[in-house]
Amino acid sequence: MATELPVVNHAEPVMGTVVSFAVVPGVQSGRAVSGAIEAACALLHRADAIFTTWDAQSPVSRLRRGAARLSEMPPEIAEVLDLCDYARRVSAGWFDPWAMPAGVDPAGLVKGWAVERAMAVLREAGTEAAMVNGGGDIAVFGAPAPGHAWRVGIRHPWRAGALAAILEVSAAVATSGSYERGPHLIDPFTGQPAGRTVSATITGPSLALADALATAMAAGGDEVFGIVAGLDGYAGYLIRTDGSEAHTSHISFVS
Amino acid sequence: MKRAPLFVIAGTIAGLAGILSYHTHPAAQAALPGASSPATAGAQAKRAGAALGKHKAKLKGAGAAAGSVQSVVGATEQYGYGELAVKVTASGSHITDVAVTTLQTAEPYSQQLAGQVIPTLRAEVLSGQSAQINGVSGATYTSQAYAMSLQAALDKLHIR
Repeated sequence: MATELPVVNHAEPVMGTVVSFAVVPGVQSGRAVSGAIEAACALLHRADAIFTTWDAQSPVSRLRRGAARLSEMPPEIAEVLDLCDYARRVSAGWFDPWAMPAGVDPAGLVKGWAVERAMAVLREAGTEAAMVNGGGDIAVFGAPAPGHAWRVGIRHPWRAGALAAILEVSAAVATSGSYERGPHLIDPFTGQPAGRTVSATITGPSLALADALATAMAAGGDEVFGIVAGLDGYAGYLIRTDGSEAHTSHISFVS
Repeated sequence: MKRAPLFVIAGTIAGLAGILSYHTHPAAQAALPGASSPATAGAQAKRAGAALGKHKAKLKGAGAAAGSVQSVVGATEQYGYGELAVKVTASGSHITDVAVTTLQTAEPYSQQLAGQVIPTLRAEVLSGQSAQINGVSGATYTSQAYAMSLQAALDKLHIR
């Protein structure tokens, strides 16, 4: 048998939330794992500094108010905006950072994108498996134990401390919804709060796209659900405001 | 054999829309879904965000468990739809848990949701207390109230 190191956990306050790590070291030493987690956290802090809208001097804030050109921005911004454009097209416009009232806002994709990259740092460091959970946007690789998949609870929209479902996840899961703050999601077509969906969960290979699609499905409900059903590798789980549910065929419920 | 990371859901929270608190075996830490940067923010939120950004939790090595465990609740903060408070549990200067302990939603939205249930076929997982899961996915707090209450709790714990 290889090393018997247990799972290494870490919680990092960043991006206005707490990002938690669970890393199965495999053959890697404790020092190598700590170094990989530090590198992953550094990546998250860099993403935070670039994309925070809380800081008027952040690159994205300057871009939003037209104070700087895209060519003067860190390369991450063009990368994220390209992904946003792709997500906008895939979602038939239901995810649209350019339709936000206060100017272009990629927040609906950035956290998933950053967490996905942080997870990749751990994978490339040679660890056996890992989960990175950025405030409910979760990226995983490998298996938490031989023969086991990562299991993720989907928070129940109305019952405190309860889950609506448990999913087995092999790469990424993101959930968006209006249940915590009231109907705050903006319908990009009307500019008004969207109100048909309370919880929209997407699983798939990319957390960046899953995050954007969850935002889209929270706003667009069944219309986006239909789009997700036709996407290779992606699955959706929807809870409507009337309490009814829908899920695409490839979602992996733990029953 | 490798040890499986079993994060067990525990705890209930007041309010219609809860946030899950999951506790772990003594050597593990878990963190809760929280806030991301809001689209609009005032100076207060900016300060809270900057303070959060500066804060770095210490890395903890495999299997180690040290320091006294304490929990504090941050200030109750108003937000657009009610009020909330954040509880932080730390072992020494290492955050082990973050949970929302107070969450009140404003009428009429909460009234609209009251009594609604999901007609799920998966009733056995509706109460997550006994479910063995690795994490929780859910809509995140994007309010400055969350960040400010969290920062207040970190200040009380003298975590910088």
